This record gives sequence, C-alpha cells and structure tokens, in this order.
Amino acid sequence: MARSVADVQGGLSSRLAARAQAAAADARLRDALAALLRGAFLAAVLLLLYGPLAILVVFAFNDSIIIALPFRGFTLRWFGEALGNPLVRESLRNSLGVAAAITPVSLVLGTLAAFGVTRFRFRARGAVAGLVAAPLVVPWLLIGVGALLFFNRLHVPLSLRTVGAMHVVSTFPLVAAIVSARLVRFDPALEEAGLDLGASPWEVLRLVVFPQLAPALAAAAIFAFSWSFNNFEISFFTAGFELTFPIWVFSTLRHAQNLPVVNAISTLVSAVQVLAVYAAWRIVRGRPGARRAAQVPEAIPELIQR
Amino acid sequence: MRARAAPGRGAGARAAGFLAAPVGVLALLFVGPIAILLLMSFLRMSIAGSGGFTLDNYGAILRDPLYLRILARTGAIATVAMLAMLALSIPLGYVLAFRVGRLELPLLLALVLSDELNPLIRIYSWRMLLGRNGLVNSALLALGVIHRPIDALLFSSVAVVIVLSVSWVPYVAIPIYASMKAIDPNVLEAARDLGAGFGTVLRRILLPLAAPGIFVSLILVYIPLFAEFATPALVGGTSGYMIGNVIQEQILEVGNWGVGSAMSFLLLLLSGVLAAVSYRLSRLSRIEAVRG
Repeated sequence: MARSVADVQGGLSSRLAARAQAAAADARLRDALAALLRGAFLAAVLLLLYGPLAILVVFAFNDSIIIALPFRGFTLRWFGEALGNPLVRESLRNSLGVAAAITPVSLVLGTLAAFGVTRFRFRARGAVAGLVAAPLVVPWLLIGVGALLFFNRLHVPLSLRTVGAMHVVSTFPLVAAIVSARLVRFDPALEEAGLDLGASPWEVLRLVVFPQLAPALAAAAIFAFSWSFNNFEISFFTAGFELTFPIWVFSTLRHAQNLPVVNAISTLVSAVQVLAVYAAWRIVRGRPGARRAAQVPEAIPELIQR
Repeated sequence: MRARAAPGRGAGARAAGFLAAPVGVLALLFVGPIAILLLMSFLRMSIAGSGGFTLDNYGAILRDPLYLRILARTGAIATVAMLAMLALSIPLGYVLAFRVGRLELPLLLALVLSDELNPLIRIYSWRMLLGRNGLVNSALLALGVIHRPIDALLFSSVAVVIVLSVSWVPYVAIPIYASMKAIDPNVLEAARDLGAGFGTVLRRILLPLAAPGIFVSLILVYIPLFAEFATPALVGGTSGYMIGNVIQEQILEVGNWGVGSAMSFLLLLLSGVLAAVSYRLSRLSRIEAVRG
C-alpha cells in the first residue's frame, strides 16, 4: 500500500484546515469591509445633516461681505453687527417671549389631555384621542392659513398673542403624545394603592405620578419651547406686522443675497440650541426611563398608533 | 392598557374634568379655523362683498392648467423626497439598531438635535452652499472646472428635494429605527445561520417587521411635504414652485381668499386620504407581522 489510511486522513484534515483558515480570512475581510462601508455611510449621513451648518459657522468669521472662497481673514464684526441690529434683537425677543409663555400652557394642557385619554375608558375616547393627535398631522401651513381667516372673521387683530395661541394648539398635542407614551408604561395600580392607603389626590399626584412623569415632562418642555421658537409657517400667517426670528430670517433672505450677518446670528442661535439639547439630554439621562425620554420623536408614532 | 373604571357615566364625567380644557382649546382654535377654511372655500367673493355659496373656487383651480401643473410637480417633489428619505432611513435604522454598539445613543441624539435646530437656518445653509454665488459654484469656478456658474444647482426642484429630505429625515429614520429595534436580534442571527443572505434577511424579516415604522413616517412626513412653502420659496425659484407657495401668494399677496382656501382645503382632503391609507396599512402590516 502506497498510502496508509492515516495519511489520507491527515492530508484531508490539513486541506480542510487550510480551507477553514481561508474561509475565516475571507469572513474577516468581509467584516472589515462591511464595517468600513457602515462607517462611510454614517459619516455621509452626518455630513448631510451637519456639513452645511459647519460651513455656515465658518463663514460667520470670514472678513468679507461676500460669502465665497477664498477665506479673507478672521473677524468678529458680523457678530457685533448682528447683535446691534434692532430687528434681530426684536425678533429674538419676540420668539423667546412667545416660547416662554406657551411652554407652561402647553405642558398643562398636554398633561391633562394625556391623563384623560390614557386613564379613563369612555365612549368618545377614540374621537378625543384623534382630535388631540390631529394638529400633529395637519400641515402647519394649513393651520396657519385657517387661523388667519378665522381671526379675521372674528375681528381679532393679529399680534404676538394670536401667534402664541396658535403655537399652543400646535404644541400641546406633542406634549400629550410624550406624556401619554410615558403614562401607558406605568401602572395605575400605584395611584390606586396610594389612594387606598389614605393619600389625598394631590398627594398621589405629587408623590406618585409626578416623580414618574418628571423626565417626560422635562423632555416635553424642551420640545415645546423649541417647536415654538423654530416655528415659521404658523407664525408667518398669524403674526400680522410682528416679527419672530424665523420670519426675520425668511424675509431677510427672500429679497437679499446671502449675508454674513445672518451667518453670525444663525451661529449664535444654533450654539444655544445645541447646548440646550445637550443639557436636556444630560439631565434626563440621569433618571430611570431616561433612554425613552431621549428618543422623544418616537412618542409621536406611539400616540398615533394607539 | 388598563383603565381605572369600566366604561360608563362615571368614567366619562371624571375624564371630562381632565379633557374639558384641552378639547375646548382645540374646538375653538383648531376646528374653528379648519371650519372657516371650508366655509370660505365655498363663498362667492366679489367687489360688493361676499354672498351666496358657489363651487367656482374649486372650478377655478381644477380648470387651470397652471395650477394642475404645480399640483403635479408638488406631488412629484414630495414623492421623490419621500423615496430618497426611505432609501436612506432603512439602512440607517438597521445600522443604528444592530450595528453601532455604544455609538447608538449619540447618533440618535445627533438625529434628534438636527430636528431641533432652526429649519430656516438649515435652509439658508444649503442656499449658501448651492446658490448661484454659492460655495460649490465659486469653488468650481476657482478650480477652473466650469467657466460659468451652474444655475441648476439652486433655484430648482432638485435643490428643493435635497433640502426637504435633509430637513425631514429624522422623522423617517427614528420610527423605522424604533420598529427595527423591536426585532429580536436572535431572529436575524438564526436566519443568517440557516444560510439567508442579507437580501433575504432584508426582504423576509427587516422590511416586514419595520413596516409599521415606515407607514408612521408616511403620516408624519409625506403629508407635510405636500404643504411645504418656506423651502421652495427660498431655494426653489420658479421651477421648484409648490402648491404651498400658491396658497401663500393667493392668501397674502393676491388677496383671493376663496381660491386660497379652496386650495388649502383640497390639500387637507389629500392629507386626510393619505393619513387614512397609511394608518390602514400600518394596522394591516402589524397584523401581518404578528401572524409571521
């Protein structure tokens, strides 16, 4: 016999081992390639989301009235000009004022709606839930146009008050969505136990409900504020001659070239917004259930799907 | 879901205590304006004032080829932007849910943050980049690649599609991510162990189970895309003019409230139909997913 059985087996197993090794190397290569592709894809997404904003920021510091390459040198004068511009100041003051006024109102109305819809079963419950969700689905342009005609019919002069009223309408359903997403996750039995053990309704609210809702309410407050501050469509139709920050940006750009002053004020506003969202995330993250609160837009589909 | 009381008068009365204020506000300031919109769209308007009901406003829209062309373009822009966002969000949702490890939360936060930044500032940043005197054009000119600025970059429907997609993509990606996150990773692993390629996994597991998220994103994003007007006004020019711009022009500039409100109401009707269809589909797809 030229070759023993053991030889054949040995040859076979070494060939198998070699093939397995090659396959493992192949798999490693594929994994590395896949990881590379994923990295490139994520980088491209981030570039789309933030690239243009980064360039906007760079040109806020460019010492030239024209926004074009090459870079002419570093300056802070556009920031000075932006902050000294009376229209910029007025529009920022108005936007911040409206947002600050409507946030607590939206929180109260949204929490009431969330409680009523999630904690009771009654015949019109489906219809009420639909009504509360509707302003999240109807486009803001249509809410704005409708409001303009509505206030005109009732002879209510347009002002920051009408803007605020309509911001409440478009914002408190968002609060309701966020709060009810949280409410359906915790057990009403805790509230009942509190009542059975002799706590007053107010104590149940303060000691049982509020601590569980706090992260959701914090997130809702931030979102309500920024929805109002950022809102353009509804404000545009209901502000009359008043100016909000998005309206100022729109009307400045509508009839003008790109302007470094707009870059400067946009840089400042965006920086504050980034810090606010980051701070909110840090505050909310420290609490139980924080992961959910950090993913707030999820709450919107949750309300609609229910 | 649990409820504190059985259906009946008691629950209704106690619920009313919570719901009276929010429902009252919506009845006055949400239902009111929509009702006025509907009413105005049927009113006959003349120099002598308004009087009598008419269908003229709707007729004026549906007979005018210009309006019909803008309506068709609006649908095309919204649809292309929606498809672009889905094409981006389905892989993004998958990667975020299963493939980024500790980066998951920071990346999610990046998506949420991009939505919290001011939309007008975002539109401006793209206009700065793509405009006639924008950076892309000036860079290409400086490099000698082109000799005249490319106008097509900005003031076109392409620019509108790009800016709208970037603006709305968080509202598509996050629901899709959420519904993919609910998929048990063991299912994916089992499929791969049994020899399914990525294409099969995508077709047989990921897409069917992510379908509810996809339909939610249709409600949240596809509908408002039809009613955009700030983006087309700032980067669209005449070739990116959308139905929202017509409404704004009719209401604020021409003062033709009849046609403006009829157009708004048509848009609202379209929104309602789209919402109902997507909602149905999302319900159906959930049942399908449960049945497996």
